[in-house]
Amino acid sequence: MGDDVLRCDRLRRTFGARVAVDDVSFRLAPGEVYGLLGPNGAGKTTTIKMVCGLLDPDGGTVTIGGRPARDDLSVRRMVGYVPQDVALYPDLTATENLAFLGRLYHLRGRELAARIDEALELTDLASRGGDRVDSFSGGMKRRLNIAAGLLHHPALLVLDEPTVGVDPQSRHAILERVDSFGRTGMSVLYTTHYMEEAERVCDRVGIIDHGRLIAEGTRRELVAELGQKDRIELAADGDLETLAAACRRTGGVERASVADGTVQLVAADGRRTLPAVIEAAEHAGVPVRSVDVTEPDLEAVFLHLTGTALRE
Amino acid sequence: MTVLAIARASLTRLVRDRTALFFLVVLPVLVIVLVGATVRGFSTWKVGVVDEGAGAAGQRLVAALDRSPDLAVDHYPTVRAMSTAIARGELNTGVVLPARMDEAERGGSRTSVGLVFEQANSSMQAAATAVAAVVRAEGVRVQAAQFATAQAGGTFATNLSQAARLEGRLPRAQVRTVAAQASSSILPEGFSYAAPTELVLFVFLSAVAGGAATVETRRLGIYERIVAAPVRPRDVIAGETLNYLVIALGQSLLIVAVGALAFGVSWGDPIAAALLLVCWSLVGAGAGMLAGTLFKTPEQASGIGPVVGITLGMLGGCMWPLAMVSPVMRQVGHATPQAWAVDAWTALLARGGTLATVLPDLAVLAGFAAVFLLLATHRLRHVLAG
Ligand SMILES: Nc1ncnc2c1ncn2[C@@H]1O[C@H](COP(=O)(O)OP(=O)(O)OP(=O)(O)O)[C@@H](O)[C@H]1O
Ligand SMILES: [Mg+2]
Repeated sequence: MGDDVLRCDRLRRTFGARVAVDDVSFRLAPGEVYGLLGPNGAGKTTTIKMVCGLLDPDGGTVTIGGRPARDDLSVRRMVGYVPQDVALYPDLTATENLAFLGRLYHLRGRELAARIDEALELTDLASRGGDRVDSFSGGMKRRLNIAAGLLHHPALLVLDEPTVGVDPQSRHAILERVDSFGRTGMSVLYTTHYMEEAERVCDRVGIIDHGRLIAEGTRRELVAELGQKDRIELAADGDLETLAAACRRTGGVERASVADGTVQLVAADGRRTLPAVIEAAEHAGVPVRSVDVTEPDLEAVFLHLTGTALRE
Repeated sequence: MTVLAIARASLTRLVRDRTALFFLVVLPVLVIVLVGATVRGFSTWKVGVVDEGAGAAGQRLVAALDRSPDLAVDHYPTVRAMSTAIARGELNTGVVLPARMDEAERGGSRTSVGLVFEQANSSMQAAATAVAAVVRAEGVRVQAAQFATAQAGGTFATNLSQAARLEGRLPRAQVRTVAAQASSSILPEGFSYAAPTELVLFVFLSAVAGGAATVETRRLGIYERIVAAPVRPRDVIAGETLNYLVIALGQSLLIVAVGALAFGVSWGDPIAAALLLVCWSLVGAGAGMLAGTLFKTPEQASGIGPVVGITLGMLGGCMWPLAMVSPVMRQVGHATPQAWAVDAWTALLARGGTLATVLPDLAVLAGFAAVFLLLATHRLRHVLAG
């Protein structure tokens, strides 16, 4: 525990009357990829900003490499911050942007040039270093945004929803990279509202909702919390909310919610519940088109814990 | 080091920003060249003359004006009639030959030739400059004749007695200064008024418009990135200040160079002028940075910035001399830093002012700069604190 790269203890932050982050505690071991999974407005970015020293917590502490993050500039060297929105100068080239940010970390000369090459290489942008950022695609900008956080070889890389608005191919590339960072010993704090991403790249996941960390653990641990439950996905033509409401009234269905054009259910025993669900759907006038019964995943965990789907 | 990195990134961006470069380089040079060309380009100026009884000396001066290829002389009975003609644009400038000019000249005492023109009008300023040049040249001739007569001694009894009186009363060095003079305007004539006021106008205007770059840095979230790095807020502030200062100084030097090299503008006492440039650049830097932290969008900065710059420029005497406006407006004008800068340039260029002359103006400008920079620093700290 002494060698945790990051420790957040009882972090709290309010904006006026709104509590954005409430009593959030978690820690990251070296080389660990930790995911903060939560819907829009859950408090992910606020948490990350407190970790990176951009916002002062109203309560609680952030400890990085065993040192309190507050007021200690040298601690910032250990952190690579990749903001949620691409923060790069569009009118400078990729290399110029990286050189500027690298200099802020006291890199210079040959070392700076080498780090820039390395960061561009790592994000598959090696051939585009001389191009202006405004000529980049959305995915390329996001990758360069990540490259900028890697320049100074941080012990902790903080990625705030790095795949938002990115095509599947770029997303795949980004996730691959995050995976490999963990293996090189870099710790990664990764926020997302995509359950699949959290499942895929994170060693451990903290589920955050309305500013509170409501569950934490490995995927296996979290799913185990559900017990022997199934996740049912219904596709139907008609009003999905009506369908979800009908399902909720059906025996055996614990949670029902609309997500991604489907109705997601958590049920104690999928196979036994299904006929009743289908019948309820017919009654409600929203006949089911197809059914998918799967093992529970983090989506189901979230649904189980909060009663709402991760994505509306 | 980080200070330089921050300034450098901003300056690199500036070089790529066409709108900013337009305000910074193209527009000021264009305006200077246009005004300069207008001022120099007219072939003849129409000069009105009112002779209030100047005698032979007056006639000599009118003849000299007539001989000048740039000037066409017209006689008017009264100053009033001539002023009306000037107001109607029929004349570019007017000359008032004072009564008993001849006696004064022969007596070796000072005499003043009046010049009438509208100071806000650059072609009138130029015409006045041309007339003043002829008057001065004539003055020197008269003076030389006086001196020669005095030196040669003895043909005319009157001349002799005059020469004797001159020699007896005045040491030689002072005799040289005795001449007909153009009544000294409180403003630098012609283009020498336009160039420094343009400097004052443009350096401020483009600094405020240039605040757009800071707004963008803010909106792009780059300050967050900077703050997440091991960089102190004061280094960010120093870097941005340096950036704005370099821009303002660079633009000042450009205008000084174009004015001096292309149009022969004299910028006055070098030390005083240099300090004035630095003070004004600091005012611009503070205003630019303040704009960068106050405006919400870059478009606001580049749209409203020039309007603010021009309005303050008008109030502060960049478009027309504050000597022409009502005392109230003059006071209002001096709430702007522009007025103090224009005052200082006027003192340097028209009255041969020195550092000592403009020190009070410089102090006021330094005060404006300090207030702007402090406010900007405060605002930027607020931005950096998230
Ligand atoms: N600067 C701010 N001023 C006021 N309220 C804020 C501010 N920043 C965040 N909030 C509020 O705090 C809550 C948490 O916001 P936060 O940005 O941390 O959420 P998030 O989990 O990152 O969401 P998203 O997935 O949309 O990025 C939200 O209700 C948001 O409106
Ligand atoms: Mg966020």
